[in-house]
Amino acid sequence: MAIFNLKKREIECKIVYYGPGRGGKTTNLEYIFKKFSKQIEGEMVSINTEGDRTLFFDFLPMGLGKIRGCDVKVQLYTVPGQVQYSSTRKLVLRGVDGVVFVADSLEVRREKNMLSLKDLQKNLKDYGLNIFKIPLVLQYNKRDLADEGIPLMSVEQMDKDLNRQLKAPSFPGSAMKGTGVGDTLKACIKQTLTTLQKELKWAQ
Amino acid sequence: MGLKENIQKLLKEAEVYRKQGLLNEASEKYTQAEQAVRNHDRIQNKEKILAGIAKKIASLLSDTQQVERGPSSPELSEKAQDLIQKLFSFSKSESKEEAALEGAIALAKFGQFERALGEFRKLIDTDSHRVVAAKNVLRCHIQLSSEEAAADQYEAWAKAGNFPPNQLAKVRLFLTDILESKGIQRDLTTISVDEETVQEAEDEEFIDISSIGIYFNSGPAEGKVVEFDVNFQSGNMLSLIVSKKDAGTIEVLSVDDSLNDLQFFSPIAMFNGSGVVTAKSQIKSGPKQGDYCLDIKITSK
Repeated sequence: MAIFNLKKREIECKIVYYGPGRGGKTTNLEYIFKKFSKQIEGEMVSINTEGDRTLFFDFLPMGLGKIRGCDVKVQLYTVPGQVQYSSTRKLVLRGVDGVVFVADSLEVRREKNMLSLKDLQKNLKDYGLNIFKIPLVLQYNKRDLADEGIPLMSVEQMDKDLNRQLKAPSFPGSAMKGTGVGDTLKACIKQTLTTLQKELKWAQ
Repeated sequence: MGLKENIQKLLKEAEVYRKQGLLNEASEKYTQAEQAVRNHDRIQNKEKILAGIAKKIASLLSDTQQVERGPSSPELSEKAQDLIQKLFSFSKSESKEEAALEGAIALAKFGQFERALGEFRKLIDTDSHRVVAAKNVLRCHIQLSSEEAAADQYEAWAKAGNFPPNQLAKVRLFLTDILESKGIQRDLTTISVDEETVQEAEDEEFIDISSIGIYFNSGPAEGKVVEFDVNFQSGNMLSLIVSKKDAGTIEVLSVDDSLNDLQFFSPIAMFNGSGVVTAKSQIKSGPKQGDYCLDIKITSK
């Protein structure tokens, strides 16, 4: 949950990138680390296996400067996507303020997307959070693979599978190429800060 | 699409999936390509192509095994451990000790037991957190070494005389439960105190558990940990409602079955332990008709 220092007028919030394994969560953070270096406030930490699969989490701290009189800091995390790391996902999700769900556009990963979203819903519920109320943005990643003739689900299909009830902002993208990464993050930060402003009333 | 184009398409897809780390999907496409090649006699260099595909599938199998065998909890660098301790302590605004405890628990949850042991030991000096720290020290010893090592630690505390008697009694009860559930016979030093009062206090202190992970070594979920929500808890008795669609999964469980390697999830901690199935029945009426009620008694944590 967000930490608000009234005296220093500093707010720190947590955004978690969630989604199925190999969907592009870490690649999103790697792109953000490279491209938004002015806002990055430290090193990106990745705790992963030899095969570059996230084992525990990735972590990237950002500073957004003053927004409505408050120094805003955002901590970005990713969770491990593989099924066997469910307890770690739950740990990392604790205290979350906003979520980016990175869905894999590959047709062969359709079911994994839906299972991962269900997993997210369950873990949020265990923390007393409602997936319909938490700041949430969807990214439909790997859109660039259409150029290689790989079967992708249409954005409409993915919206129908994942977003019919949520009605969250969704962004097609390619974390490898960087398209949609910034837009996704900005949308999530905006939603998260709007929610926090309402809850904490920190705006001057 | 002609045969050649179809095979090329399958191989290309397989290669993309392999590069993406989607090993099962890659294997499936290679298998489809292999089948397409086998089904047609008039393919040039058929045997060579099949050998090439077989090699790819074998390589994928090896990669898959490596991923599945992968480290569950490697020892991380001190820097990474510091980060875990810092990022996963949520009680900064409450008390320093509470934050330290949470940080140590976080380290243990991420499998950093050596480091966690050190952090828990620091909290032994704090009266308010001594018992919970001591229990976690013992858990760390069990994870790192054995139940015997935990018992040796307990005896060291008993000998040193640093623990008030009622606190040591709580720790003793905790450890006794664990040793008994593992069938380990070991007499632990007893400090005279009203154990019934301590036991009642222990029962009242039972942490709220929101869900439980059960490892199945047989049945449809063999080799997997399946998580179930706890619907009701009274002390160390948990009641789960299992959907009828999961009936197959719990089919292998019977009353009096011992369950080792249980994972208990609470809002503030996750811990491992064991339990026993005390009841299993199907709900005959009401909104949950057809679902199953499974009662589990926690025997050690």
